[in-house]
Amino acid sequence: MSSLVKPLVEVHNLVKNFPANHGQFVHAVNNVSFTLEKGETLGIVGESGCGKSSMGRTILKIHEPTSGKIIFDGDDITNYSRHQMLPYRKRMQMIFQDPYASLNPRFTVGEIIEEPMIIHKMGTEKERKIIVQNLIETVGLKPDHIRRYPHEFSGGQRQRIGIARTLALRPEFIVCDEPISALDVSIQAQIINLLEKLQKERGFSYLFIAHDLEMVHHISHKIGVMYLGNMVEYGFSDDVYKHPLHPYTKALISAAPIADPILSREKQRIILEGEVPSPLNPPKGCPFAGRCKYVTKQCKKEMPKHYEYDGRKVACNIYAPENLEKYSQVGKTPEQAVFE
Amino acid sequence: MEEKLFRKLREDEKNDEFNAIESRTFLQSVWKDFVGNKRAIVGSIVLIIIVLLAIFGPMFCKYTYDEQNMSLRNASPSMDHWFGTDKMGRDIFVRVLFGARISLLVGFVAALINLIIGTIYGGIAGYVGGKIDMIMMRIVDIIYSVPSMLYIVLIMLIFGASVTSIMIGISITCWIDMARIVRQEVKSLKEQEFTMAAFVLGASGPRILIKHLLINTMGPIIVTITLMVPQAIFTEAWLSFLGVGISAPLASWGTLAQDARELIQVYPMQTVYPMIAICITIFSFNFIGEGLEKALDPKKKR
Repeated sequence: MSSLVKPLVEVHNLVKNFPANHGQFVHAVNNVSFTLEKGETLGIVGESGCGKSSMGRTILKIHEPTSGKIIFDGDDITNYSRHQMLPYRKRMQMIFQDPYASLNPRFTVGEIIEEPMIIHKMGTEKERKIIVQNLIETVGLKPDHIRRYPHEFSGGQRQRIGIARTLALRPEFIVCDEPISALDVSIQAQIINLLEKLQKERGFSYLFIAHDLEMVHHISHKIGVMYLGNMVEYGFSDDVYKHPLHPYTKALISAAPIADPILSREKQRIILEGEVPSPLNPPKGCPFAGRCKYVTKQCKKEMPKHYEYDGRKVACNIYAPENLEKYSQVGKTPEQAVFE
Repeated sequence: MEEKLFRKLREDEKNDEFNAIESRTFLQSVWKDFVGNKRAIVGSIVLIIIVLLAIFGPMFCKYTYDEQNMSLRNASPSMDHWFGTDKMGRDIFVRVLFGARISLLVGFVAALINLIIGTIYGGIAGYVGGKIDMIMMRIVDIIYSVPSMLYIVLIMLIFGASVTSIMIGISITCWIDMARIVRQEVKSLKEQEFTMAAFVLGASGPRILIKHLLINTMGPIIVTITLMVPQAIFTEAWLSFLGVGISAPLASWGTLAQDARELIQVYPMQTVYPMIAICITIFSFNFIGEGLEKALDPKKKR
């Protein structure tokens, strides 16, 4: 990562609260920061309800951010109005989770794919029809599918229609909000391959949200792990996947199924106890403190900062500089000092 | 491969593949499906005939709607008086034809007000949500909770008894159910991902509301309109009975049924004619509505 290249998307200390009953707030996204370069994929993993989707939607300004900054290609779009966002809509797009709900049932496939171009007044009607043709083929559907309606297609095909609609605007940045979780495994691979192919050809940047860690590791350059609205670990894909630092990431990776039964049997799983705290009333300290084996008094007092360690950021007190010093005094890495 | 079955495309035919997949727009396919639906076509034709009869029918009759013949009161159907005569000796056939004018007018106006005001009002309340929705729905509640007698007295005072008064009387409250239904539907559709997709694509508020939300509410909208028409016809009769609407010798289906009710035990047939007219009209409205609903919903096609 050279500092000379301007990142495409920068998110600084993003916070999103949703109002709930009795004047309370759901703290969906808490102080999340990351950068995304052109042509790069950032995978976001975490369990259901941890704020992954809310974060993706807030970055696209579907929800207005509570605080923090969203910078797209050097422009601070955090407080842009709907009208001001219009030119950016062409450049930042989204692929949705549920291919059954994300297509208007009353539109034909052709109309669905053409709509973004009509909204942005791109080309003449004839040109648009030709583009629709090309897009249909790009995503691997047949030309005669144009006249049909979404309900005549399978989930995988519908997801392809959704991708074609997204491509019509030639975006640079695409938020993929669990694009494969509603599909069965064989179709998942097809869609992932399609997304990878498109990235290679067109240089897209993806924010890839999923809960399948294996898949995220496969597709991403960087991974962010979220827990209760916080990004607890953020770094290069291989580093995070192979040498997780945060206790939660460790648990998450150990829980992933392995296809090899022998390896699977030998593998030690970290079983987490307790429940995820409610985002309505998150704990004062580390959100993971209640389920963490290595919890200290410090963890319960205040939210750990994002510490730089081993080329990535971890929100865990184990990696606090003063603690690291302690370990090094006894000549141990945190790995040896805490986890063994 | 047999040579006969295959031949090379001529240069000018080569573009045919593209032409063959030219997509029909939504409205074109709706029209085609509607025309292909037998019941919808029958309904439309019957309704057109009724409208034509209402406009031109009375011109070709021997009698006029207010011509009294005291020597021939409550007559049975005959060659002269096809439906017989009423208690004043007026020809019922021509009165039913004439009555169609007001009843149909009332029905159409109610349907139109319902469609325009109800849909837009409910759509905006549901789509915008928040405080505006709250205020808009409280206004609806207020309109709904004021007793209709109060409106009627006010209308009477200002406009007197006329067709205009009936229109106003019906227009005030008829769109409220529609507004509520549309609001509810729009509120739930708004949460669907395709609305979010349209937003992310940069679609404007009106575009999302009309092209994505209201178009998916078509089913309930049409059902509500079809139910509104007969209700309006009877409301007119009730208003006329209270003295807001038309008065004798003018006639509408509602007033005809109302008048005949007094004599129902002696001459039951006098009630039957206007009722049959109302029934036929409602049936054709229903058939048209059903056809439209099918044509508008891609899932119900074929």
